[in-house]
Amino acid sequence: MKSLWLLTKKNLKLLVRSKSSALVVFFAPLFIILLLGLSYNSTSNYGLNIGIYAPSFSSDVESLMGSLQEQEFKIVKYETSVEDCVKDIKAGAVHACVSVPGSLSVEDNKQKEASFYVDPSKINLVGVVQDTLNEKFNLKSQEISKELSGSLLSAVSDTKSRLEEQGTQLSSAKEKSAAASSAAQEASQQLTSMDLTLPASTYNPQLITDFKSSASPKIKSGLSDVEDAKEAVEASELADKTAILSSLSEVEDKLKSLDILVSGGAVASSGNTSDNQTNVTSTTPSSGFLSALTLLEEELINTKVKLTAAATAVGSTSSSLSSTTQNLQESVSALETAQQKVSEMKASLDAQKVTDANVLSAPLVTKIEKVGQESSYLNYMFPALLVLVVMFSSLLLGTTLVMMEKNSPAFFRNYFLPLRRGTFVLSTYLTTLVITSVQVLVILAVSAIFLKENLAQLFPVAGVLLLSSSVFSFIGMGIGYSFKSEETGALASISTGSLLLFVSGIVLPIETISPAVRSITSFNPFVISESIIREVFLFNAGISGVWPELATLTGYALGLFAIILVAEYLVHKHFISGFMKHRHLKHRQQERRDKNNV
Amino acid sequence: MKLIELKEVSKSFGKNGILQDVSITIEEGDIWGIIGRSGSGKTTLLNLIAGFLEPSGGEVLHSFKVTETPKSLHANLHQIKDQIGYAPQHNSFYPKLTVMENLLHFGQLYNLPKETLQNNIKGLLQATELAAHQNKLAEHLSGGMQKRLDLACSLVHKPRILLLDEPTADLDPMLQKDIMAFLAQVNKQGVTLVIASHHLNLMEKVCNKVAIVHNGKVHSNGLMADIQKPYLKDNFTISLNPGENKERFISILKTLPVDKIIDRQQHLIIHPKNITKTITALLTMIQDENLYLHDLDIRRPSLDEIFETITQEK
Repeated sequence: MKSLWLLTKKNLKLLVRSKSSALVVFFAPLFIILLLGLSYNSTSNYGLNIGIYAPSFSSDVESLMGSLQEQEFKIVKYETSVEDCVKDIKAGAVHACVSVPGSLSVEDNKQKEASFYVDPSKINLVGVVQDTLNEKFNLKSQEISKELSGSLLSAVSDTKSRLEEQGTQLSSAKEKSAAASSAAQEASQQLTSMDLTLPASTYNPQLITDFKSSASPKIKSGLSDVEDAKEAVEASELADKTAILSSLSEVEDKLKSLDILVSGGAVASSGNTSDNQTNVTSTTPSSGFLSALTLLEEELINTKVKLTAAATAVGSTSSSLSSTTQNLQESVSALETAQQKVSEMKASLDAQKVTDANVLSAPLVTKIEKVGQESSYLNYMFPALLVLVVMFSSLLLGTTLVMMEKNSPAFFRNYFLPLRRGTFVLSTYLTTLVITSVQVLVILAVSAIFLKENLAQLFPVAGVLLLSSSVFSFIGMGIGYSFKSEETGALASISTGSLLLFVSGIVLPIETISPAVRSITSFNPFVISESIIREVFLFNAGISGVWPELATLTGYALGLFAIILVAEYLVHKHFISGFMKHRHLKHRQQERRDKNNV
Repeated sequence: MKLIELKEVSKSFGKNGILQDVSITIEEGDIWGIIGRSGSGKTTLLNLIAGFLEPSGGEVLHSFKVTETPKSLHANLHQIKDQIGYAPQHNSFYPKLTVMENLLHFGQLYNLPKETLQNNIKGLLQATELAAHQNKLAEHLSGGMQKRLDLACSLVHKPRILLLDEPTADLDPMLQKDIMAFLAQVNKQGVTLVIASHHLNLMEKVCNKVAIVHNGKVHSNGLMADIQKPYLKDNFTISLNPGENKERFISILKTLPVDKIIDRQQHLIIHPKNITKTITALLTMIQDENLYLHDLDIRRPSLDEIFETITQEK
């Protein structure tokens, strides 16, 4: 136990006394925490570029864009086609595209659809983009839904108030109709009570009376006239006197017959008046005709009485009906008003174009469209995995090789070899490259089994990986030159790799970190390498599509190579100085020991 | 023929002056010994000669090409690296490579023709007696073999001058002798040697020229005989058995006419004013006091003694 403690104590002392170890052990975690704290101390989506395509940018689309901008999204407008936006996703210029209709207002029972175009290979980003955009669209949808429901409820409320208003009118109409009904019933009863049985014939009783009083005198006057005429004819010397007298005698006979008839010489019985028939016979023509006239006269009188009563009843009924008519007219008017109001209400309800419950509850729907071919998650993760492997391998190899050389007993001899310093740097780089190439070949060969559809892209991917490997190798070599022991160098390499990985967007979306740190991390070679490989591997991009990134990586490699050369030169100077200092110190210690011995 | 010439060379690291006004001329075929105490500046001087360090003052010139005027060694180091071999104090080869691989690796980096390289390696393997171990990993060799491999690596390109920093450090006496014998053999093949060491007795046997470095200055340099000449004053050494009363011997000697008594463990080096009288008186007193004297040696001063004399004087 004691020895274990002693060994532990010794290890701790060695770590603390080695400046670089202490730096890495104690300050690296603090630095990383500080960096991550600064990076992710935010809930905003600072760096998400969202492309918006709409056939026309109406005010509500602009409003949606405004709300996205409030969320710290950077909005890029696309007015020609959504394909332009999709191209930019592939190029990495925008992170997602949203294709929205020209107007978000819903005017019929059809839901408005917004399509999100996302790059499924950016798995973690997809979630953030989807969530945030869905949230915004849901808000907009709720807003529209609220507006639609408000409009519908307003129409319903208006209808209700109108119905309430019409209720009064209808009550009044109902009362008036009831009164009219009662009046009509009364009139009906009055009319029912009237005996309006009419005589069989229609005639003027006065005429009968006048006839009765004047017919006989007139007939007698006629007979007198005929006697006068006969006397005159007889007194005349007319040739045909006889004929005329004969005719006059006939007329006289007829008048006498008529006189007998009118004055009531023989009248047939007239007991049945119901059939309105009077039978006059030649045997008793006079008595029947007069009796009939008398009966007729009586009937006429009775009829007159009845009609008078009927007239009274009709007058009364007429008054009732007049009142009823007025009431009914008012009812009709009220009903017409009610009908008009109902029509208005119907029109108002008809004006509500959105009546579908689905549309009302979700006027906007979203659809996710994946950019690029549908692939497995291995495809999506593949670029990141490749760069991850290459990054850690190259970093560690670069560091280890430099450390091995620096700590090798042969390091001193190398200074006396007729070689330039750049040769040593390049040899270390080439060693890393060879080993990484083997690793890349193995990985790609194994990957080819799973990714048969992307075989053609594996060759350019290998090229990009070697370029990435160069950059990471030089970084690793730089670390190697900066640290003294292999352990601290390896630790620093792993820390550097972890840091590059952490701010690469693989673990957390790079777009969610603060702008200040993101502007630095966008230069992360891991991010650049992963971006190139993703574009080449998933979107089949050619060199022309990724040349800016390739140029950046190449620039990194060349810049780092220059830095490594300087580092090599400085290490050389430092080594000599350190070497001589070390020897000087050792000799002084030896001298002191010798003196003590003497 | 001059190979390297140091003209009033000074070197300092920051405010620490390590060497001052050193002037040495190394000619082809020489075996130069740079001797001095630990920390005296031997290695610094060696590194200046190797061009590994740039002088703070003065100049280090090389004349490897006869037709050319001497040039700054440090400034033109890259052009003459194939002329120089360097064997640092600690072995400088790849422990994870075999003997043959190490030799091939370093030899090939000098761009030697394949045949020449193979001949060189063959000769070196024989000379260093490493032929039987040529396929062994360097880390599996014994200390002596590793030292020989290191020397072989320094010689694989057949340099004209070989600089050696403490070549016998950490080796047992037998191996030290073997190494020095090997170096002598190398010199016979035309390689100029510059050896920095504090094993003065070994240096005395091998070197024909010596530079004594002390406190940052070269106090004597040149041919061994020339250096010894001023110190050719007779002296004698008495050797005592272990446990013998050395203090008593010293007190007796102090009563005699002696200039200096140097205490070297079991040996006392005595510089008498008159050697005959001093020895006679000493022997009489030993006999009177019944003391035992293991050995008495009357000889010329060794390099060690000269060095001691010089360092004590300064």
